[in-house]
Amino acid sequence: MTTPTERNDLGYNDIHEDVVRSIVKTGPKYYIALATAGSVTLLCFFFPWFYQLYYGIGAAGMNHPGVWGTYLSSFIFWIGLSHSGTLLSCVLHLTNSSWRKAMYRSAEAMTLFSLVVAATYVMVHVGRPWFIHWALPYPNQMELWPNFRSPLLFDVMAIATYITGSTIFIYMGSIPDFAAVRDRTSGWRNTMYTLLSLGWRGTDKEWHRLHWAYTFLAVLIIPLAVSVHSIVSWDFAMSIVPALHQTIFAPYFVVGAIYSGTAGIVTVMFVLRKTMGFEQYITKLHFDNLGKLLLVLSLIWTYINAVELFTGWYSGSSEEYEALGYKLFGFYAPLYWEMILFCAVAPLLMFSTRFRTSFVPMLILSIAINIGMYTERFLIIATSLSRQYLPDAWGVYVPSLVEISIMVGSFALFTTLFLVFVKIFPSVSMYEVKETMATPKIEPLAPASGSPA
Amino acid sequence: MPNIDRREFLKLVGAGGVSVGAGFMLRESTKHPREYLIPHVVAPEDISSGLSTWYNSVCSMCPAGCGISVRTREGRAKKIEGNLSHPVSQGRLCALGQAGLQALYNPDRLTAPMRRNGEGTFEEITWEQGLKQVGDRLDLLRAAGRGNRVALLTTGVRGHLAQLFESFMRQLGSPRLLHYDYDHPHTLYAANQQFFGEDRLPYYDLQNTRLLLSFGADYLSNWISPVHHSLGFGESRQGPADVRGRFVQIEPRMSISGAAADEWIPARPGTEGILALGLAHHIIAEGNYSGADRDAWMAALADYTADAVAEQTGVPATTITRLADSFVDTAPSLAIGGGSAGNHSNGVDTLVAVNALNYLVGNIGQEGGLVFNPEPAGPALQQHQASYSTMLELAEAAHHGEIDVLIINGTNPVFTLPPTAEFESALAQIPLVVSLSSFLDETTALADVILPSHTYLESWGDDFPEPGVGFSVGAVSQPVVSPLYNTRGTGDIILDLARRMGSSSVMPWQSMEEFLKYGWQRIYQRGDSQTLAQGFDAFWTSVLKAGAWGETKSGNTAFSLNPDVIAGIGVAPPEFSGSEDDYPFILHPYLSPNFHDGRGANLPWMQELPDPMTSIMYGSWVEMNPLTAQQMELSEGDLVDIQSPHGQLRVPVFIYPAIMPNVIAIPIGQGHGEYGRYAKDRGVNPIQILSPQLEPVTGSLASSATRVNVSATGKRVKLVKTGGTSRDLGRNIIQTTGGSGVEVSSVSSNSIPITEVTS
Amino acid sequence: MSLFSRFLDGWRKYRKPGYYEKFDYHWTMTVDLDKCTGCEACMMACQAENNIPVVGEDEVARGRELQWIRVERYWEGEYPNARLRFMPMMCQHCDAAPCETVCPVSATYHNQDGLNTQIYNRCIGTRSCAVYCPYEVRYFNYYDHGWDSPLEQQLNPDVTVRGKGVMEKCTFCIQRIRQAKDLAKDDDRRRVQDGEMQPACVQTCPTKALVFGDRNDPESQVSLSMDDPRSYRVLDELNTDSSVFYLKKVDA
Repeated sequence: MTTPTERNDLGYNDIHEDVVRSIVKTGPKYYIALATAGSVTLLCFFFPWFYQLYYGIGAAGMNHPGVWGTYLSSFIFWIGLSHSGTLLSCVLHLTNSSWRKAMYRSAEAMTLFSLVVAATYVMVHVGRPWFIHWALPYPNQMELWPNFRSPLLFDVMAIATYITGSTIFIYMGSIPDFAAVRDRTSGWRNTMYTLLSLGWRGTDKEWHRLHWAYTFLAVLIIPLAVSVHSIVSWDFAMSIVPALHQTIFAPYFVVGAIYSGTAGIVTVMFVLRKTMGFEQYITKLHFDNLGKLLLVLSLIWTYINAVELFTGWYSGSSEEYEALGYKLFGFYAPLYWEMILFCAVAPLLMFSTRFRTSFVPMLILSIAINIGMYTERFLIIATSLSRQYLPDAWGVYVPSLVEISIMVGSFALFTTLFLVFVKIFPSVSMYEVKETMATPKIEPLAPASGSPA
Repeated sequence: MPNIDRREFLKLVGAGGVSVGAGFMLRESTKHPREYLIPHVVAPEDISSGLSTWYNSVCSMCPAGCGISVRTREGRAKKIEGNLSHPVSQGRLCALGQAGLQALYNPDRLTAPMRRNGEGTFEEITWEQGLKQVGDRLDLLRAAGRGNRVALLTTGVRGHLAQLFESFMRQLGSPRLLHYDYDHPHTLYAANQQFFGEDRLPYYDLQNTRLLLSFGADYLSNWISPVHHSLGFGESRQGPADVRGRFVQIEPRMSISGAAADEWIPARPGTEGILALGLAHHIIAEGNYSGADRDAWMAALADYTADAVAEQTGVPATTITRLADSFVDTAPSLAIGGGSAGNHSNGVDTLVAVNALNYLVGNIGQEGGLVFNPEPAGPALQQHQASYSTMLELAEAAHHGEIDVLIINGTNPVFTLPPTAEFESALAQIPLVVSLSSFLDETTALADVILPSHTYLESWGDDFPEPGVGFSVGAVSQPVVSPLYNTRGTGDIILDLARRMGSSSVMPWQSMEEFLKYGWQRIYQRGDSQTLAQGFDAFWTSVLKAGAWGETKSGNTAFSLNPDVIAGIGVAPPEFSGSEDDYPFILHPYLSPNFHDGRGANLPWMQELPDPMTSIMYGSWVEMNPLTAQQMELSEGDLVDIQSPHGQLRVPVFIYPAIMPNVIAIPIGQGHGEYGRYAKDRGVNPIQILSPQLEPVTGSLASSATRVNVSATGKRVKLVKTGGTSRDLGRNIIQTTGGSGVEVSSVSSNSIPITEVTS
Repeated sequence: MSLFSRFLDGWRKYRKPGYYEKFDYHWTMTVDLDKCTGCEACMMACQAENNIPVVGEDEVARGRELQWIRVERYWEGEYPNARLRFMPMMCQHCDAAPCETVCPVSATYHNQDGLNTQIYNRCIGTRSCAVYCPYEVRYFNYYDHGWDSPLEQQLNPDVTVRGKGVMEKCTFCIQRIRQAKDLAKDDDRRRVQDGEMQPACVQTCPTKALVFGDRNDPESQVSLSMDDPRSYRVLDELNTDSSVFYLKKVDA
């Protein structure tokens, strides 16, 4: 088994020190980053959103044929981004891939926060978010229930389940690490980690149960993750809008989600590696493996796109065919070709091992892929809604400043949440990294608790 | 920011959040003013909470005179619908008629009398002040025997208000009572006078006709009585099970009626009459006319062979002969003319030619043809209709200082007269201009005293539709809501002024309502013994309740043509203002279906109603043939300068597939400089660039006879319109089926070579 | 009956295709395209009857007009044989309505009169119904549109004024249907008679191109009209089972 570290002389204690340091020691850089992210969130996300809440959703650019816009494409984007985290972590856990261990915690966090941002986007998207709870089935005096036939309701259910599952999964996996941090901190942190670690002592029984439950959850989450994005795709595919009403949409969305999610992990890992000093834990190996995965996903994605084009062309039906032509050569065509360049052509570079193991090119590519994937989500909505059945009702939708601002702000919101996360959660799974290391001959320091640390 | 630690940061974030929230709450809490509930312990008359009350009245949004039923609740007008028992509208109503509510509740209404003060702005005055100022002046002039220095300029009113105006002006001894409307069909009246010897319009029986040839008359949207014509159109199209009426429209730019027609034939502007005579020639030449005066006709029409006419009109000879044959073969058939066809230098001759067609196939006095109307039951005062030349005379008189007082009611000549008439400067020459308008339109803005009238929904009046529907019809217009503002009925103002100038012995009525009742006594006297036995009050109540009064007494059916007419028949080629080299295009200004002659532009509903043909809202545009636009490298939204010998307009292009290549069309209605927030500074007014070309017989403006030049500006705007792509792209959305026993259109695709038309 | 079994019962009934065995009334409209002149009187009638606000020039320019009934226009051919055809398009009140299935809160549903009904105060504004509607007749309130005083005095007290964030559409003038049914009930009549009520658009149509009535009554004018050989439904291939029948234009 390969080790995730480049330095073989790394001991258990080094890991502890690195990780705990990342939590406890906070420099001004962190605060500057947090303040920047926080204020951008406030200015670009919450302020325009409040403006929109107050004046109406007309602040966004939606109009008559284009009743859905970037809010929904951002929603899909964030749901998609959420995919690789937990899903990847589960798959790799089950396949026992050891290279996963250094990065999966931050990947799972990404899942969680993407989902939070996505859920917020639902509120931004709807016209009357103050009644959003009506979409939840809760017993009420009027015996009013949501519409269980609605794909949107499936979506609410699926995302709620996925958020719950992902939260439990990341939390459960962190318990031993919380305990480890608990043992190395004092004051309010100690209290917090005492509570979070649920009295973890590191007994064999505890370890046994943790592994069992963790594996169980991993098995559970994989179909859940697949279903979540299938259901998101059904929001569109269950309609009869030309170019949306497609059977391939579910796998298309799932693949797209994993694709953009994996690219997102590459980005996040690069940033973590640079900023948190995790050079030893996140290595070329990770980038190489993720690169291979990305390459495969990109090929599948390209294939599905080609299938979509082919069926559209083959249909010969006026509506489908025209929607297709509009996508390729219409008002939004530059975006389409940008998407093809970023998501289908550029990833072919990853056939080269040198490319896969170079950090900066991989970062650039991963960002490009996500830009492309965002475009894809936007195009799915914008091109299809612009060209429906009745030509007299055709129109074009262009996002407004408020939408663009909220889109920028959502990244800041995500960053803010992530910055808070790295100060609470050990962002590298200490115990799993240690599992990959040779057991040290000498006990470095007397542990304060019974954990294997 | 290195000094900010975590605590500080959290505090700042918290404080920021709280203040943002507090701001919103403060804004919300101060937003709603306090409202009070008013209990209906003593409910006002006619108001029962929760129940609708319907009042029948008469629509005054256009001259058609449709009967309306207005739904009111809690004393407020809620909806205008057609009056089912009124023979003109029969329960139906057009868009403009329904938008009348917004005239009543318009935010830009004049709410009180006003006077121009020393600084040139308006200040509010009391009615007493206003009426005294005007009344004293009138009294003075009348006493001095200079009553003829008073002019009364009103929109086309009928019924007893018209009579009141007449008595009023007679008291002053002034002949200057002018009814002026831009769209009054002077040429049609003149043509009918010439041909039929009647100064009334006949009833065009669209309902029963099987073939309608319309020469330029947009009978479904603006011509005379669009709602009634629409009813007839629908009935003729799909009423009887076995036959379907066929409609042919001849005009240079497809109007709503052109779109509804089975066949749209573009003829060169101004040659519609020549085309009609070409048809007439063919009918006679084929031996389909056997009247005693056949030879006279043949001689008069000798020059109008199909080939010669085809040459002049641009309509192929085969089309001419086919139309002529089917016009004979299909009975009953009907030819009507008006609109742009009547607004050329040969307008009267054109419409006489159309009448001749009806004469030759025996449509006159026939069901499904044109039927003469009886003498209207109420006062009929066509002689006061002012043509363009009459308005010029008025302006000239004003320039010469011959007018001391001008009273304006409802009409807006500053907007609807071309600047060459110099009406605006004429107004400045008149010492006292009094406007009775409900809105601050362009003309009212130049007045010295404004005595604002009620809208038609608040005032008493009556109407005798002209043309009638083949029998005598009258309707009383009653107030449906109590007046909103400190305004008065037009009739009441006139009666008050009459009192002030000492005419109360001749005009003793205290109010318009009283005068109406007095006038309707005469109509009551026409009733049968049963009606008379019930007394006038019962009759009056029943007229008010029904909203309409009718008498099934048809008009003159016997008709013999004056032989002089035949000898004089003939249509000269149209004359245009401006040379063809400098001004290659012919401007076709048409009444907007939404705004009529501009009067509807202050109604937000009408502004936001898409133009039926283009789906454009809120602005003006110029329609251009796709080929022309292609040649000039113009596309939709390109701003172009339209230049006539008398002015220039800048307006965006709309590519219009059904307009002749050398014709451009601009709708009338927008381009107001005043007239309230919804109308002001929006679009352009094509009347502003019309050349003062006259129709010689009537002296009316030949509004379709201006040549213009079009030049690109290189600028672009986005047209505000709702339609997306107006082609169905083979999706078969509007499905069609072959005709059932109806002659199939044979306009083949190359029947009119485009080069020939542009030449 | 326990709450659970009641719920289960309701659910079973609810999920059955064709919730209603037969509609009490089956309100239907026919549009004779051969009569329609595109005059838009129907649009104005609708606007006046249903408190549809004026959104203003800027909003229309952004494509946010509110038109419960609109007149679609399609050009055919080129000059000089160009023709323009009009088609009034309003909510088709589909019996298999795509919009009804997608609304997560059931703000739009089919009632026992065969009407596709929009409950404004249940709507949370996901706008998915507008996406799912192939006729694109659902219009969304992007803002609170006010009325310049005193224009608000015209508002019909029988119709809700919709606020921001709510979807709206043609209701077949349900307030008039309700009123007619109430009157029929008060009169001890069991059914609303043909022609007793008409939606505002039908009522005002100057060419009588629009006909409205109860399809369950085989003698009604609308039943006769929809059986016309010219009768067809727009986008019938989508199997929406709409309640608006168009009579083909006669191309003569």
